[in-house]
Amino acid sequence: MVRIKNRYIAVQIVPYAPTKVLYLNDNTLTKCLLRNIEKYYGVYGLGMIEQGFRVKYINERTKIAIIRCMHAGHRFVSSILPLITLIGDVRAKFRTLYIGATIIQCNKFIIKHQKKFLDREMGQLTSAKERQDLFKRVMEFDMDR
Amino acid sequence: MSGYQYLDVKLKLRDPESVTLTPVFLCGCILNSLASVFGEIGGQTSVKIVKFSASQQRSVFRVPENFLQRVRIALSLIGYYQEVPCHFQVLSTSPKRIDFEDSEEEVIAFI
Repeated sequence: MVRIKNRYIAVQIVPYAPTKVLYLNDNTLTKCLLRNIEKYYGVYGLGMIEQGFRVKYINERTKIAIIRCMHAGHRFVSSILPLITLIGDVRAKFRTLYIGATIIQCNKFIIKHQKKFLDREMGQLTSAKERQDLFKRVMEFDMDR
Repeated sequence: MSGYQYLDVKLKLRDPESVTLTPVFLCGCILNSLASVFGEIGGQTSVKIVKFSASQQRSVFRVPENFLQRVRIALSLIGYYQEVPCHFQVLSTSPKRIDFEDSEEEVIAFI
């Protein structure tokens, strides 16, 4: 029995113009990634990663996505992420957060990452009013500035 | 350490009369194939023509050693030269400079 190794890449999509909600679905993201892989690594690169490639999760409010690909070609994917500037028709860039072997580890990391973000932001504020404002903004997913 | 490899390549065309065979077009054809198979990052290499003969449709290429495999893949996957069906035959590969066996007058030598 051969085990298939996967890699899960957690990315954050940073839009050029701050927006509350990204109008992106997994299909658009998949198409964009595959098109860029063909551009930079040709049909060979596309063939290496196409099997098992899937966008497992995309949250248009927190702007975080999880991409699954086979272990053999995950470097093709992770190396082109910084080169992408246009996703669908939205001008945005990718921030690679974490590369893990299971989706659970990725999920754990994202939770930790969000907690850390909240702690850092809360720590910088002094007055209770500002804290309440930030809390409200976070609850409404309006964190882009 | 990375040296160079020399490839003696023969172009076999279905209809040799209808094409213009020049060193630049031949090099462009190979670079195009490299770019389509391996893309903008994977297919960037320095392919240089050392010798070229239009009458024999043969040429000697110099490629970096670590790109030999990719260049040979790209060569085998070329199916058209100026929209004429063709294929490339690699006659020999060597780490030393190679020459055509029968050196003729019309051979163009570079460097």
